Amino acid sequence: MTQFERCNIGSIRLHVLPTDRFKTYALAVFIGQPLNEEWITAGALTPYVLRRGNRRYPETRSFRMKLDELYGAGFGFDISKRGDYQIAQFRLDIINDRFVNEGKSFLKEALQYVGETLTDPYVEGHGFKPVYVAQEKETLKRRIESLINDKIRYAAERCIEEMCKGDPYRLSPLGKLEHISNQSEETLYQYYQEWLNRSIIDVYVVGDTTLKETSQYIKEYFKIPERSQIEQDYRQTAYRSDTREVKRVTDRLDVTQGKLNMGFRAYATYSDEAYPAALMYNGILGGYPHSKLFVNVREKASLAYYAASRLDGHKGILTIQSGIEIKNKEKAAEIILKQIDAMKEGSITDLEIDQTRAMMTNQLREIQDSAFEMIGFDFNRVLSGTLNASVGEMIEAISRVDKNQIQQYAEKVELDTIYFLRNREGRAGDESNKA
Amino acid sequence: MKAIKLERLQETLYTDVLPNGLQVFILPKQGFQKSYATFTTHYGSIDNHFQVEGSEPVRVPDGIAHFLEHKMFEEPDGDIFAKFSSQGASANAYTSFDRTAYLFSATEHIPENLETLLHFVQHPYFTDENVEKEKGIIEQEINMYQDNPSWRVYFGLIQALYHHHPVRIDIAGTTASIREINKDLLYTCYNTFYHPSNMILFVVGGVNPEEIMDLVRENQAKKSYPPQGKINRIFDEEPDEIHQQRNVHKLSVSMPKCMIGIKEQPLGTAGRELLQKECESKLLMDILFGPSSVIYQKLYDEHLITDQFGSEYNSNPGYAFSVIGGDTPDPDKFIARIQEEVERAKEQGIDEQSFERSRRKRIGGFLRMLNSPEAIANEFTRYRFREVDLFDLLPTYESITLEQVNRRLQEHFDWSKMAASIVEG
Repeated sequence: MTQFERCNIGSIRLHVLPTDRFKTYALAVFIGQPLNEEWITAGALTPYVLRRGNRRYPETRSFRMKLDELYGAGFGFDISKRGDYQIAQFRLDIINDRFVNEGKSFLKEALQYVGETLTDPYVEGHGFKPVYVAQEKETLKRRIESLINDKIRYAAERCIEEMCKGDPYRLSPLGKLEHISNQSEETLYQYYQEWLNRSIIDVYVVGDTTLKETSQYIKEYFKIPERSQIEQDYRQTAYRSDTREVKRVTDRLDVTQGKLNMGFRAYATYSDEAYPAALMYNGILGGYPHSKLFVNVREKASLAYYAASRLDGHKGILTIQSGIEIKNKEKAAEIILKQIDAMKEGSITDLEIDQTRAMMTNQLREIQDSAFEMIGFDFNRVLSGTLNASVGEMIEAISRVDKNQIQQYAEKVELDTIYFLRNREGRAGDESNKA
Repeated sequence: MKAIKLERLQETLYTDVLPNGLQVFILPKQGFQKSYATFTTHYGSIDNHFQVEGSEPVRVPDGIAHFLEHKMFEEPDGDIFAKFSSQGASANAYTSFDRTAYLFSATEHIPENLETLLHFVQHPYFTDENVEKEKGIIEQEINMYQDNPSWRVYFGLIQALYHHHPVRIDIAGTTASIREINKDLLYTCYNTFYHPSNMILFVVGGVNPEEIMDLVRENQAKKSYPPQGKINRIFDEEPDEIHQQRNVHKLSVSMPKCMIGIKEQPLGTAGRELLQKECESKLLMDILFGPSSVIYQKLYDEHLITDQFGSEYNSNPGYAFSVIGGDTPDPDKFIARIQEEVERAKEQGIDEQSFERSRRKRIGGFLRMLNSPEAIANEFTRYRFREVDLFDLLPTYESITLEQVNRRLQEHFDWSKMAASIVEG
């Protein structure tokens, strides 16, 4: 596989993957800062305001028309939490100009657009444009409130929030509703400048270009002030808890289906030696249609349409999610926990190991067919300080994991929280009716 | 095997029709690790009333195409997912209004995985017991969608627009309708719609076209399919009028969701004409309601829409409708403002620049789509069942004129054919 070529330009780390495999250029900028209640809301609001226009295109419509002119370049942003950081990601996807013969470099146009949007925003006086800030505050507020519309995500986020009560990881990457009204165009602009100064910035480009060409455009269009001392590396800490007792939380909403979620302390992050074993564990337990959860909760007991597990390798948390009939909660919980026990006891067949290994190997190889997946994979390594683990080495590490290692790892996994989302009707004990 | 060179797109498409009627398409992608294959039947949720030449008409329960899709994964020796997993392939399937697709993607063992795909889709195994067992699973799938406001508002709209056309049926059916499904009904549907002459195989990725074609040809030659008569799909007469002006559902949401749609008389035919109308309509929707449109910006400024606002145009020989909407704090005002602004646009007409911008945007969108093997296979098949060539989209967009889009603007927005669907708390 072709490798990312890297260099530093001021405080920006640039990662370029020259390839002619795609019909497009893919660009991504990651701006990360530690999760902190004090600034997380401003950190979420800033990208919303930046996407309204920049100094060259102060009006939102003309700012967006520019994208249409570039053959509908896809520009978007996303705010997420990865381990101990709030990450703002900006991305742009644009066709290679060789397909349209316009006589200009679309890569240059794209980097100019993104660079100026991030570093040369539209400013009035000492702040952002007041109407943009007012409107985007409203949009962010609505966005936070809309979590409730997606019950699958709602249950997943509530489970993490309850589990991580004493850890910054409890915070929503979109910030806190009650902190939105405090933001003014001036305080936000001030915050924005600090944010650019203190954050870790990674720029990715995948497409038919070179590190040299891209560097020139970055120098030209990303105007980030020189900083003397900057934190350049992400440092993650795994979730820990001394409580032995399992937390049980039930929320009630107007729902037809119950959502049963569980959170486990998984004690393995990307940089750990046990990480490949943890990946295999997750795959065998609930990563695929051949996995224990799918086979036992769905196929054998017909209790759910989905039942799966997920490993968060930054925070060292394993989660399980399923959608079930409300009255079947205890039955489903029992079957799920039985699978966890089976893993601990080592009831793992060679077939399960082979299938999981084959699926994981395939997934890792497929990453190379998508520009944004390659960027995502590489940035994960940047985030976890494991930059030297290539796709090939990951595949290699997974191939070496044996049943013993998986079982040893399984013994470490501890149930932390059981979360249930159910309907408003019925008494509290209803869901445990075993009749 | 025919090779079709798509010079401008720098791609070559290989195709052949096998003696049993199966259409095969192969698109090699240089430098790609993975191969992606879809095996699709021209059979979806709207095909609930049909007749095969020489036999009696049959009406089947709602949701049966989707039920069948679930059941195909079961084999006498267990679940087919396990076999794909052993061969490092991730497999899946989906059912839409007019088709059911089975697919896998893999980076290794492509011949084996292709054989597995062909085998399991051409080998039904339904028992009373395994059909009953599936009902619990699908019931939970239906309940999951019941709790999904975006899905509810979308289907609420189609149900308000259509009296009888089966496009109004929820693809998975209802918890009541799936209880009527049994093994015999499943075999009836299977035998009608899974004949190779009603199916398309598409393989895209890092493959050698000759090898793949030989494999498929040999595989199919080993199976015998008696020639099948023509499938006659029966649709009840659908009035031009909408069914319901307003369809409201209660669900816990942070803000109401509102979608409006306009029902058009269907074209009645597939092919070029359908494509032309679809492209004109999609351009029109984008010009009027896209993120860089006047209407989007005005309504956003008025806090009547959020950044989740969108529009689409959905058409088939038997139905055609637009969808416009998203989250809004005030559905009535939102509807009134859309009508007002569209009326204004009708008076002024669309200008050359907006037209040109949207056209470029759609051309770019098409080219970007070609990066994705999944999108190529699925979109190609979808259009093919409508007798359209996916790669004709590019010249069609390039040849559309401003006059044509302006004419669409005048004819589409007939407010007497408008329905609204609302989901609120």
